[in-house]
Amino acid sequence: MGEILTMALAAVLINNVVLSKFLGVCPFLGVSKNSKSAVGMGLAVIFVIFGASLITYFLYYQVLVKMHIEYMQLITFILVIAAFVQFVEMFIKKYSASLYKNLGIYLPLITTNCVVLYVAQDNITQGYNLIETMTNAIAVPLGFMLVLYLFSCIRERLDSADTPESFKGNPIALVVAGLMALAFSGLTGIV
Amino acid sequence: MIKAIIYFIILAVIYGVLYYFNHKTPKPEGCENLRSSCEGCNITSCMAHPNNDRLFKEENKNA
Repeated sequence: MGEILTMALAAVLINNVVLSKFLGVCPFLGVSKNSKSAVGMGLAVIFVIFGASLITYFLYYQVLVKMHIEYMQLITFILVIAAFVQFVEMFIKKYSASLYKNLGIYLPLITTNCVVLYVAQDNITQGYNLIETMTNAIAVPLGFMLVLYLFSCIRERLDSADTPESFKGNPIALVVAGLMALAFSGLTGIV
Repeated sequence: MIKAIIYFIILAVIYGVLYYFNHKTPKPEGCENLRSSCEGCNITSCMAHPNNDRLFKEENKNA
């Protein structure tokens, strides 16, 4: 149990997927204009990564390994993620209008989010068992959501700040992202 | 090799079918013109890119 908690804490704070691995930077910059969008995107990412990780985990060990076609791993994961996102979008459209209103616009963006593929690949390359896979599939997107939310709050404050003209928009956002990466690197060693 | 090709075709067909059904499923009322607040990166082919607003409007006009 302690190991699982350590692993989760490390994935959220220390090995943060955005600030230490520089993955998912596109939605990090694109959907962090306001905190409401950031939370919506974060929730959608958590849901998709968890579902896609479980499907790819079972598909890898029950199909690819048994058929001795492990080299099809990458293409399988890409297609599974894309298909899963289509399925989730269709399901939400049909059964929950309110959920679609909140998350629907973010779902197509997640197909191209490299964090989803990273988590699916990481679960296999690290040789995680099912419990570890589930922990990783929750903790990594939770770290993504945390950083996205913090970044969006800072950007909201920056909108009303007296920023030099040439720094407005993406330049100051990238400076802030760099400072956040430095701040998070200070957490190295807590576990 | 044959197993891999068949496996790939099955996956691609599953994706194609889900894409088709998702595309055919109507959006809920009041959600027809939802847009993300993405400011745009260098991937101009992305549907959320602000450059594609014109295409998005045309698509909705035809739907």
